[in-house]
Amino acid sequence: MIITVTLNPAIDKIYWVDRLRIGQEAQEEFLTRAVRSQTSAGGKGVNISIFLARLGVENVAMGFVGGHTGHVVVRDLRDEGVTTNFVWVEGETRTNVTILERGREFIPIMVDEEGQAVSQIELERFLRRYKRMLPRASWVVLAGSLPPGVDPDIYRVLAAQAKEAGVKVAVMAGGHPLTRVLSAAPDLVKPDTREHLAMERAPLTTRDKIIAAGRKVVAQGVGMVIISHEVIGDLVIIKDSIWDIESRVPATQFKNLVGADDALVGGILYKLYTGAPIEEALRFGMAAGIASAESEEKLCKDVQEIMREMEHIALMPIGGDDAGE
Amino acid sequence: MRVSEIMTKDLTAVEKDIPVRELIFILNSAEMPDMPVVDDNGVLIGVISEKDLIKAALPGYFEMLHSTSFIPDLNQLSKKLAKIANDPIEKYMKRDVISISLDDDDLQAADLLIRKNLKSLPVVDKDGRLAGVVRRIDLLRNLL
Repeated sequence: MIITVTLNPAIDKIYWVDRLRIGQEAQEEFLTRAVRSQTSAGGKGVNISIFLARLGVENVAMGFVGGHTGHVVVRDLRDEGVTTNFVWVEGETRTNVTILERGREFIPIMVDEEGQAVSQIELERFLRRYKRMLPRASWVVLAGSLPPGVDPDIYRVLAAQAKEAGVKVAVMAGGHPLTRVLSAAPDLVKPDTREHLAMERAPLTTRDKIIAAGRKVVAQGVGMVIISHEVIGDLVIIKDSIWDIESRVPATQFKNLVGADDALVGGILYKLYTGAPIEEALRFGMAAGIASAESEEKLCKDVQEIMREMEHIALMPIGGDDAGE
Repeated sequence: MRVSEIMTKDLTAVEKDIPVRELIFILNSAEMPDMPVVDDNGVLIGVISEKDLIKAALPGYFEMLHSTSFIPDLNQLSKKLAKIANDPIEKYMKRDVISISLDDDDLQAADLLIRKNLKSLPVVDKDGRLAGVVRRIDLLRNLL
């Protein structure tokens, strides 16, 4: 069984529009009509739970929810076959809005709320639940931003508890929660694509710089680091190997990037969980991410589509001078 | 069908040492009429409901409560609730829990829900750990 932890889940509200006028362009009141919209449970861990459930993997989604939107999150997860175990808190689960303009879907406009604050009592309530769920799990996924009031050390604490219980840990995060969790030596780390540049406190502008930063992380005991360097490419660094994994699909074909990163990690986890070799896991994960980006839906539901996408994925080992040493 | 196929896959539960005040918040937020109580291993050790809390606050009147008209004064209920608000829920929970196993069939679940007049029925795995809950609506949804 896999546990996903989303401490700051959300409702993802996606609007598709023909034309969007903002900033300088909008000199007067202007109504933008959505030609389509979609509302679904969101947050990185929540998305991974839904993706895994669609592939038949038993998993439990944990975190904090509150208010009407909290019920929507829980209801969506249950409808997808995910087991829920959330702590109810005061306030309302946040709503994140994404606007996709026709022809520019690969550059989404995103407005994320900060999320409802979590008190110390609520956090303790969560920690008790988490601790009693660990013996049932083989993997834990710690994913996404933290709600206000939660110490950035929380992922390190949760990862250390999981490792002590013999449970493998995957982390998708950015900023301080990411840098602090590294000392707990998680098995898989995917820095938030939007924030991973903060890892080194300097821009990781070249492939060599990314590889060097990834090597430092692996030297701390982390099993695998996956760092996006282009929309369609990731670098994967483990102790003895480095791969460049790339899709041959142009980014302009993408219809919805929301959730694509989560499908990537979900795909890798699915394969590792079912005992596949790491190379197969990486190709499947990238294919899942690309298939999701090519679909208007947030996550690709069709396993056959993911398998077809694998034909367009290249996994290239990097060695010698290319390895950034 | 097996219970595991029809149940609501939710593990919302509380520990026996949480105060009544907290339980009321959780029952209200989660919109659950009753709540499983589990130990540190997730093993089901009891159930506590809204009804148990009213009974705890107004034990003398409870048997006569066929309608709210029997409550002499709502202020009285409020005062009594305030008195027990910080008590651990283990003082008021039911320990003789009726539960069902993941591998039992839906007919057994229906029988228990109807015969025992329950709103929901905790589901446990082979180790007695909470694995979900079967509600009346789960049965109706799957029968249709």
